[in-house]
Amino acid sequence: MAAPNSTDRSPAGRWRDIMERWLSRRAPAARSVGLDHGKLFILPTRAGMAFLLVIALLWLLATNYENNLVFALTFLLVSLFAVLPVHTFANLSGVQLQLLEARPAFAGDYAEARIEVGREGQRSRERIRIFWPPEEGAELDLCEQSRAEVQVALPVIKRGRQRAPRLRVESRFPLGLFRCWSPVDLDIEFLVYPRPKSAGPLPVGAAVGEGESEQKLRGGDDFAGLKPYRPGDSLRHLAWKQYAGGRDLYSKEYESGADARLWLDWDLLAGRDVETRLSNLCHWALQAEREQTPYGLRLPGSEIAPALGNPHLQRVLGALALFPVQGA
Amino acid sequence: MSQSREMLPRESLLWIFAAQFAALLPQFALLPLWIVCAWAFAVYWRLEVYRGRRDLPGRTIKLLAVALAVGGLALSYRRWFALEPMVALLAVSFTLKNLELVSRRDAFLSLLLAYFVAATLFVFEQTIPHAFYGAVCVVLITAALAAQQGSSSARPRRALGLSLRLLAQAVPLMLLLFIVMPRLGPLWAVPQNTDGASTGISDSMSPGDFAQLSKSDKPALRIAFDGPVPPPEQRYWRGLVYSDFDGRRWSQGFGVDPREGGRVSWGPPQQPLPAVGPRYRYRVIQEPTHNRWLFAMARPHSDTDGVGETPDDRLLKKAPVYNRFAYEVRTWPRETLGAVPDLSDFERSRNLQLPGGGNPRTRAWAQELRAKNPDTEEISRRILQFYNRRFVYTLKPPALGADSVDEFLFESQQGFCEHFAGSYVFAMRAAGVPARVVAGYQGGEWVAQEEYLLVREYDAHAWAEIWIPGRGWRRVDPTAAVSPERIRDGLRSAAAEEFMQDSLFPLHRISVLNRLRLQWDMINYRWYQSVVSFDSDRQRGLLQRILGEVSPLRIALFIAVPLGAALLCVLSWLWWSGCSRRLPPASRLYRKFCRRMARAGIERRPGEAPRDFARRVRAEKPHLGPMVERITAAFEKAAYCEDQEAEKQLRRLLRQWRVADGWW
Repeated sequence: MAAPNSTDRSPAGRWRDIMERWLSRRAPAARSVGLDHGKLFILPTRAGMAFLLVIALLWLLATNYENNLVFALTFLLVSLFAVLPVHTFANLSGVQLQLLEARPAFAGDYAEARIEVGREGQRSRERIRIFWPPEEGAELDLCEQSRAEVQVALPVIKRGRQRAPRLRVESRFPLGLFRCWSPVDLDIEFLVYPRPKSAGPLPVGAAVGEGESEQKLRGGDDFAGLKPYRPGDSLRHLAWKQYAGGRDLYSKEYESGADARLWLDWDLLAGRDVETRLSNLCHWALQAEREQTPYGLRLPGSEIAPALGNPHLQRVLGALALFPVQGA
Repeated sequence: MSQSREMLPRESLLWIFAAQFAALLPQFALLPLWIVCAWAFAVYWRLEVYRGRRDLPGRTIKLLAVALAVGGLALSYRRWFALEPMVALLAVSFTLKNLELVSRRDAFLSLLLAYFVAATLFVFEQTIPHAFYGAVCVVLITAALAAQQGSSSARPRRALGLSLRLLAQAVPLMLLLFIVMPRLGPLWAVPQNTDGASTGISDSMSPGDFAQLSKSDKPALRIAFDGPVPPPEQRYWRGLVYSDFDGRRWSQGFGVDPREGGRVSWGPPQQPLPAVGPRYRYRVIQEPTHNRWLFAMARPHSDTDGVGETPDDRLLKKAPVYNRFAYEVRTWPRETLGAVPDLSDFERSRNLQLPGGGNPRTRAWAQELRAKNPDTEEISRRILQFYNRRFVYTLKPPALGADSVDEFLFESQQGFCEHFAGSYVFAMRAAGVPARVVAGYQGGEWVAQEEYLLVREYDAHAWAEIWIPGRGWRRVDPTAAVSPERIRDGLRSAAAEEFMQDSLFPLHRISVLNRLRLQWDMINYRWYQSVVSFDSDRQRGLLQRILGEVSPLRIALFIAVPLGAALLCVLSWLWWSGCSRRLPPASRLYRKFCRRMARAGIERRPGEAPRDFARRVRAEKPHLGPMVERITAAFEKAAYCEDQEAEKQLRRLLRQWRVADGWW
């Protein structure tokens, strides 16, 4: 996404830079932000402009017919138009946002941020929309409850740490004729994993360049017991004998020996470009986690010892995400 | 913005239809029936779509609907530059828009149109009930706009409440604008509401016309005087002069109406106004008549824009009176006008004109009178005496044949004002005296509380004027010779038995109702005086009264001071209802704690979770650790579990700490 970088030299880009600098002085990045007059902007919407046009036409009608009741209606609508921005502004003023969590996501997917929205004072707030501009975002009311949690999604394309652009907090309450908004920087940074790409079956026992390949080919060979078959279990580990004996389908479980562990190795995928390799490793890691096969990761210059479980998966995927971009 | 966000919230559809219905309802009577049916059908179709039983119409059907609507409009209205076709056009665009009411944009468009349609109602009618109804429409339309926001805003009570609140807040500024905003006057000629039938006195008079008018008690004029009020026998409100008689019908004749080349002087009078002050100054509020003539006493002059004077001493409006119209009049007594020029030959022959034949008995009688009495006034007196002796004043005179004047004078001898006036002028002309019939209103009911004269349709009257050399036109009322009560007390006492006999409910006989009706008319009068006829003159007067002097500075202050006060109110409301003082008590206490920690040298970073902060404090100042941890735990419990006990504990801890402050 368009993180503020000053490499864009086009007039539009330069303008964006100026705006961004101005905004970051007015509304600096923070994980918790309260909206006040310094950060809120308000303008009529297109419907508001049409409303003004109707007022102008009504004024013409009133003037040409010298009709005081039409005048009264015209002025009533003018006054309504003058009263509305106060309400729209008050609806956002004093709203507080706090980032609870920026969930990691896979490239090409939506990254979600969990945000808590609260309010100062007891005044109820309605129809607050929080979104990243072209996206739809989330809409919420704070009437009885004084705080609520929303999840806002942002599509992420590139792997790595992604700094999210400014969130837009917007409201058109009460009549939709005015739009009050605030570009809020909640200091959101998403960790974006590579997009998983299938690279064939898990390289069980495969290892490159260590010279002890036969040992590892056999994998773990200490039989540890039977467990009920789950789809995705290796066919080689099926307890065929028991199955033939009329029992349910079981997988044989082996306790992996130290040398028979599954290594998701960068070097196994030689010949592909960096991003594809990372994508394939990512796919394997997910598959191994699904099959409950302990796995480790070897990248040039780093290594994560084999293990299982969510924290381990996060670590592995994180390492893949943060692998230096080639040529950068 | 993505597609689905722009979609109409489902609940809001009913709101839109309700608003449309409210705006269209008063127009239903004016619109051709097919438009009403088409609208209802479009709504039905859209509701079927809403229920999922039907699809929105395709392109072909929509095009067909447009073609049908345009064709229908073309057939229904031959004149396009008029008000009704424009309202019809708005109604049709509503209808067609309903067939593609999909997005929020469509809804906005439809509702903005509804505001406009609601406003056109006022062009037709400006009464209090209509104003009230218009206000209801505006509340409904605004509620429908609020409902477009969806969710809780679309709930009926919430949307209506919101709309009422917003509009109520808008009213003070509206009043200010209403008083201050300049009225420019018409920028261009606009089509008027021309379809309504003209009411009241018409531009011709034949036997029976005025008896017909006497059946209506609708108000015709309301007249407020500035200074003396004329006595009842002087209250002759002249509207029309009939000079042309065809044997049955009296009419204005050729060349009187300005459209036929009649002379009217607009603006300042051609002859200088008399040096003497006017005898009467008054302001007339006239109900719409769809005609151009206005009503005033003899020798009038008006400074109101668009009002001119005719050579036969009447006031005329440039454009017909389609809406209630108010004008100022000054009337001078006859004597002050100085020397009277002689009647021109044209005027003389016009006012001596009689049909070629007919009514021979009257002619003979008149010539005999003439031969016996050389004095004009004596002839007139003789004729009036003739009436006085035998005639009967009645609302239900017998029908008359071909020689209507002869039959009336010598056979039936029963008649209403037009019979008397017509036969009198006929006789005077036959006797060689220039004479003319004048039509208008006579009398009026004095409304004491509000000090104005209420003239109703049944006060319509016809009388005569004769030319007396050297003195000019003199008013003669033959009816007064027969029934002086008519002039003094009005029709109700002159023809008590017959008065309003035909009306379905003789409400005028119930005095309570009569009083109530008079009360209602008083309220109406106030309404017209202060709201409907509030023009630039009255505006200047009102501002002068409020400000003392109308200068740009004072007007600017007049606008700025209330606006500034309102702005202050709004700002203080925003501050009070949303400022940090209203933080929950637990957060306030915690904030206090953070300030103390900052003084102690450890500042909480923005967005730092309390627990992280406590950990950091413990790392940097271990001796504070236990206290900080207890405070943090108490705060978390108080803030997130809304635990009253924990809040008290937090308060206690902070107090203890202050005591301990001394030694660490």
